[in-house]
Formats: sequence, C-alpha cells, structure tokens
Amino acid sequence: MTRRTETLLVGFASLIAAGGVAIVTATTQGTVGLDAAAAGAAHLAAFGGMVIACRLWAPASSRLLLPVVALITAVGAVEVFRIDPDLGRLQRWWLLLAGLIGVLTLWLLRRRGVEALRRFRYLFLLGALGLLLMPLLPSSLPLGGATVNGSRLWVRLTVGDRAISFQPGEGAKVLIVIFLASYLADRRRALAEMPRTIGPLRLPEPRQLLPILLAFAIAFLVLVYQRDLGASLLLFIVFVALLYTATARATYLVAGGLLAGAGAVGAANAFSHVAVRVAGWLHPFSDYSGSGYQVAQGIFALAEAGLVGTGLGNGSPWLIPAAATDYVFIAIVEETGLAGGLALLAAYALLITIGFGIALRSGDAFRSLLAAGLTIALGVQTLLILGGVLRLLPLTGITLPFASYGGSSLLANFVLIALLARVAHEERL
Amino acid sequence: MRQGLRRIALTLAGLLAFSGIWLTWIATDAATRFRTDPRNVRAQEGSYLPGAGRIITADGVVVATDAADGGRTYPEGPTYAHLIGYTAAAGRRGLEESRYADLRLRNDDSITDWLLGLGGSDGRQPDDVILTVLDPLQQAARDAMSGKTGAVVVLDVATGAVLAYVSSPSYDPNRVAAGTLDPEDAVDAVIDRVADRVLPPGSTFKVIVAAAALDAGVAPSTTFPDAEEYLAPGSGAPIGNAGGGFCGDGGTLTLAEALVVSCNAIFARLAVDLGADPIVRAAEQAGFDAYIPWETGAARSALAASGLLASDPGALAQTGIGERDVRVSPLHMALIAAAIGNEGLAMRPYVVDSIRTASGDTVHHSDPAPLARMFAAGVAADLLEMMQAVVARGTGTAAGVEGLIVSGKTGTSEGSGGPHAWFIGVADDAGHKLAIAVVVESGGSGGRVAAPIAAKVLRAWRDR
Repeated sequence: MTRRTETLLVGFASLIAAGGVAIVTATTQGTVGLDAAAAGAAHLAAFGGMVIACRLWAPASSRLLLPVVALITAVGAVEVFRIDPDLGRLQRWWLLLAGLIGVLTLWLLRRRGVEALRRFRYLFLLGALGLLLMPLLPSSLPLGGATVNGSRLWVRLTVGDRAISFQPGEGAKVLIVIFLASYLADRRRALAEMPRTIGPLRLPEPRQLLPILLAFAIAFLVLVYQRDLGASLLLFIVFVALLYTATARATYLVAGGLLAGAGAVGAANAFSHVAVRVAGWLHPFSDYSGSGYQVAQGIFALAEAGLVGTGLGNGSPWLIPAAATDYVFIAIVEETGLAGGLALLAAYALLITIGFGIALRSGDAFRSLLAAGLTIALGVQTLLILGGVLRLLPLTGITLPFASYGGSSLLANFVLIALLARVAHEERL
Repeated sequence: MRQGLRRIALTLAGLLAFSGIWLTWIATDAATRFRTDPRNVRAQEGSYLPGAGRIITADGVVVATDAADGGRTYPEGPTYAHLIGYTAAAGRRGLEESRYADLRLRNDDSITDWLLGLGGSDGRQPDDVILTVLDPLQQAARDAMSGKTGAVVVLDVATGAVLAYVSSPSYDPNRVAAGTLDPEDAVDAVIDRVADRVLPPGSTFKVIVAAAALDAGVAPSTTFPDAEEYLAPGSGAPIGNAGGGFCGDGGTLTLAEALVVSCNAIFARLAVDLGADPIVRAAEQAGFDAYIPWETGAARSALAASGLLASDPGALAQTGIGERDVRVSPLHMALIAAAIGNEGLAMRPYVVDSIRTASGDTVHHSDPAPLARMFAAGVAADLLEMMQAVVARGTGTAAGVEGLIVSGKTGTSEGSGGPHAWFIGVADDAGHKLAIAVVVESGGSGGRVAAPIAAKVLRAWRDR
C-alpha cells in the first residue's frame, strides 16, 4: 500500500464524516448546512495532521492503521451528532485536540523513539495511579472529583465559572500499558520460571505472584471507590493478558481467572451498584422502569435494526439512556442495520489485527510488549462495551474506542495510536 | 513470547467474530419478540400507514374496526369495552393499546417498500386480531351483570384462553373515540374490575386453606369438632358462622362437609392450627404476591406476611376465611379455579388467539403455555370433588346447571357498602372444562347473588 492510498483512504473517511452529517441534517432538519462541512474539515484536519506527522517522524509505519481508525472515528462522530448535535459539535473540538496530542506524541518521540519511555516507567506508574485516584479529590476544589451516574470517575476542572469534565482513567490505561511493557520486558524470564509444581499446575516463586496480586488490588480499589466496573475489569484483563503474553505461562491466566471470578462474585454480592447492573443485565424486563430500563431500550433499538437499519436520521436512538457513550454501537446498528454493525466490527477486527501484527514483527521485547499491550487494551475495551450492549456481560460504563462521545477517551486513544504507529515505524528501520 | 501473543490475538479476534454472530442473533430475536412490545415507544410512535385491522371474536363477531371517517368504531359498544379499550384522542386502552402495532402496517419508508409499492401501501391490508372470546358467553355475562357492580371472567381450563371478560358498570368506547366522553370523568365505569381491582375473597379463599390442610396430610374425611364460633388465642373478637349457630348438628364435621357448608369456625381454627407458614406458602404457590402475566396488565393479589400472621393468631384466623389483608382479583380467582380443574396446573391466561391477514392467513398463533403449578395433582382432585359437593348440596346449589358437572365455592366478604358476593367454579361438559369467577361488589351473599350469575353464563355455554 502506498502513501497515496493512505491519504486517499483518510480523505474518504473524512468524506463519510461530512456526508453522514449531511444526511442526518437533511433527514432531521431538512437542510444541509455548515455542520457537514465543519465535520469533514475537523476530521480531515485531525487525521491529515496524523498522516503528515507519521510521514515526518514515523515514515515506515503501517499505512493501514490511520485509515481504519479514521473510518471508525467518522462513523462514530456521525452517530454522536445524530443522537445529539450539540455533543457532536463538541466532539469535533475534542477530535481536533486529540489530533494535536497525537501529533505531539509523535514529535516528542521523533529522536529516541519509544525506547525513551522506558526510562520514565515508574513515573508513568505513579502518574497512572495519580490519574486513577484523581476523581477522589473533594468536589469543592477547583480541580476536584465528580460523581456521574453513580460512578466517581470524573474530574471537573473549574476555571472561573466554566467547568471541564474529564475521565482520567482513560489516560491511566495508556500509562499503565507503557509501564507494564517496560517492567515485563525486564522481568519476563524470572516470571516465566516455574520452579514449584503441584500436580499438573506449575507455580512460580510466591513472590513472583506479588505483581498480579497488586494489580488485582488496584483494580478492586477502583471498583470499590470509584464504582467503575469497566475500568476495573479493563485494567485487570490487560494486566493478566500481557503477563501471559510475556511469559506464555498458563498459570497466570488461571490465577487471574480465579481472582477475577472471585472478585466478580464478591462484588456482585457486596456492592449494590454492581448487583443492580447484574440484575439489569439478566432480567431487564422484570424491573423495566428501573434497573432494566437502559438494557430494555437497547433491545428495542436492536429490534428496529433489520438488515440495513432505519437509515441515518430515521431511527430513535436518543431513547436509549447514554446513547452517545455506552450505547453508541447499538445506535449505529439501529440506523445502519446489521450491515453497518458488522462492518464496524470488521473494522475493529482489522484494527486489532494490525496492532498484533506490529507486536509480532517486533524483534525487541519492550516494543513488542508495548504494541501488544496497547492493542490488547483497545481490543478488550471494545469487547467489554460490545459485550455489555449485546447482553453477553453486565453493562460497564466504558467507551467504545474512537466511536463513543468522550474527550478523554479520544485523547487517550490518539496517544495510543501514535505510539502504535511509532512502534511499527521502528520495526522497519 | 510469540506463542502467547498469537493465542491472545486469536482469542480477541475470535471474540470479536463471535460478537458479530451474536449481534445477528440478538437483533433477529429482538425484532421477533420486542418490535411490537407495548412498552416499546418506537412501536407506538413509529410511523404507520393509515388504517387499522379489525378485532374479531372466536365466533366471528367484529368488535372493533375502522370507521368511515378514519377513526375507530366498536360495533358491540359497552359489551367488550374493558377488553378492547379504545384508540382515541384521549389516549389508548385495552387491546387497542397492547395490539396497536399488530393492527397496523408499518411505514418502513425503506428502499424496498419504495421500489415495490412505489411509495404507497397499494394492495397491502392491515392484519386482524382474532380473540378467544365467545360472543354468546360474553353477552350472557353482560346481561347477567346488568345493573350490578362487579366482574365475570370465564377461562378454558385446559388452555387458559379467556372466553368471557365482563366488568360492570361499563361505558361506550364509541363515545370516547368520538370525544364525547372523557374517560377521566367516568373512572367508575372505565376501571377494569376483572384484573385491576382486588377485593377480599371471603370464603372462596377456603380452597387455599383446604389445600394447605391437604398438603399437611389432612384428608377430606378428617373430622373436626363443630363449633358456633372460634376465638383465636389472644384475640378479642370471636369468628362466628354465617347465619349464626352450629355448622352441622353440633357433633363433628369432615373437612369436605366443612367446605360444603362453608364453616367459618372450623376454617378459622384450621388456619391457626396449621400455622402462618403453610397458609402463606399455599397462597404463594397459588399465585398470591406474584406477577400475573395478562394482556392488559393485572393487579397483584396479596395477603399479610407470614411473620406478621405468626405473631397475630387473630389475623391468621381471619385470613383463614379470606378476610383481613387478603386481596385478590376475579381474574386470579378464575385462574385458581382453572388450576383446580386442570390437575393443579394453571395455564397462562390469554385472549388473542391469532393474528390473521385480511385474506385469512394466520401470521401468528398463540400457543397455550403453563403458568404455574398451583396445587399438587392429588390435592386438586380432592378439592374438585369437595367443590362438586358444594354445588350439589351446599352453599353453591344456585350455580348448578343441568347437563353440566359444576363444582364451585361461594364467598361473602366484608365490604364498606355491604358484603361482596363471590363465586368461583369449574364446569365440566363431557371432559371440556371451563373455569369461572364472579364477583358482585356490595351485592350480598355469594350463594344467592353470585352463584346464579355463574349459572346463567354456564347455561349459555351449554346451549352454545
């Protein structure tokens, strides 16, 4: 694939962003106005910037990466605009900012590459923990925590009488992956040694199990204090999957699975907010107007989907609570049908395939683990929220990467993509 | 490291692929089961082509159809009002609400529609909803209830199909559709007394107490000392028999005889002797305090909590004769009677038999489904035999109909405007069984007021 094709595909995605918004405004308001042009321009600016930055500072990177992300982002942005035009307009500014941050990331790494990150790994760990704990700051401070929908995972920055809210957990995800990749690249041989055996089970030295217990403790604290089931699960699964990748020891998968299972059962029994989500998941119609309402509305939206959906602007996706964030996938399926939903799933499959391809090609353990970790984070986050809205899992309040409304999520995921692009570049030098 | 990486990658890709398969399945399932769910606002507010189908009884009487002016019209007027409801500017009610989407063609506005129909509905007719209700039974029940306040509901014992559904007084849905009657102004006539109103069941609740006794090992032939009244330990007011005096000759009565003459003193004492737990358990098994699935929604039946009754024998004694905190809807009492007639198994009540195209092809057919095992088969057989004696020679003789084997139980419960008259029963016509529940609010004695109404309805069925 040539550079030309990459540029063409990104341009095509921008056309989808503009055209989709044009269709939405045409069906809902009867006019095609500036919104469509602005959507296309913002999309082109953000991804054009990324393409140029890649040419300058990561010229050997995978050329499929950005077009796939641009496509998913375009579809998501159109649906967010369709659900709530004001959110859609806000999302445009977030997209521009995210593009800028992505470019900045590539620029920062232009000389020394991702290797430079290894030196700061404990700083990243501290930063991640700090970010995770930030929402617990008192709400009265200018930079303080805020409780939204029963979960305390937001931080509100108040400047004068304006306030900006963000979810620092999204950024913590990327920082923790960097830390883990670096830590595991150094320690994986020690972690892979299994000197003890009990029957068919091979066990490492007990102290080698400390990190997994620590990760479990952090994930559990996030669950207890921030009531954030999604981030908690995501952190823990990414950790266990990366540990397994680094060591190829099934013992860690078993230990992780047992811990997660025990934690899940314990949490469902001990915490009402988890129990409510589980009840809403299993029996949405027995408490239709209460805990099951969101899931039930999601089912009604799916009932409209059919093969090609109601058409953009012709469905009623706003009836689902949190349609633009948690339920954006179902909203897309309602209006573009199974065809649109499956195509989007294919795009995500392509994205994680590219990510794992980058990881597999890496000769260096750190870079390989970094690419793998970033891809696993992306894939697991996608699967967690998809599983939630498709009723395979209890609903967890996390975003669908690149598609959901959410500034913090978009910023963090652009950094993630910039890092992936840089790793891909370094493999081919 | 590559090996672990490959496995993780394949797992994630496999899970994504599975999500795609699952999405296809769950969307198809949602489309078949929830597209016309009454709670689905999309189904209610979605765009439909003008024109709605008819609602027709099992024997072909059209009870709802489109009027010439484009509104809805209800040829049978007040007779079917509580079942059919209305579609009007004032809102929607009854089947007109719950089957709103089934009765209409969706305007899908899709490319396929546009290509095939060139934008219109040419040639397509909305579907009709076919009921299980039999018009002669409905008319007979309505006639029998004229001038009275209460409800009659008749079920097919083997299937749970509703054959008659009358709430009285009624109203004319045509006037609501025309805008000349505001349902808010006629609450007393609009309320559905079959499913939405719960009353103390009085002595009809004795079948539940009898079931609890049979469960506990008491036999229909077990004898109890006759008494003029029963004073529960620690309670101030004794419970006397209807009309005063002894139930029998002052000696002993079997459980069966006690039910036949509806002996309050024996059943009040039986409830206290059995204890709160078995009574509450038998009631809950029979559907008290549980959700009753019903086309247009049904109120829950209730009784006091087990712990409360255990600490208050006076309340338990009154519960034993269906008073105090016991509340039940006629629909639920009919389900209990139906379960007794069906070896203890209650079938889920339904009233829509099928949905048919205008040309008569069935597009959906309701299959009978079990609702709950309310009684053990042996208990149900004993109850049915005892209830047969109630109609043959006890308080329910007025419900007897020549040519049918009628089993039943009367009840007379306390109401603020006078006693509520109850009758529940099962009628057997050569193996084909019906269950019936009748209540006349503030109407008097169950045996004298409610049982004759049941007889009139059952006679209409015999002569069908």
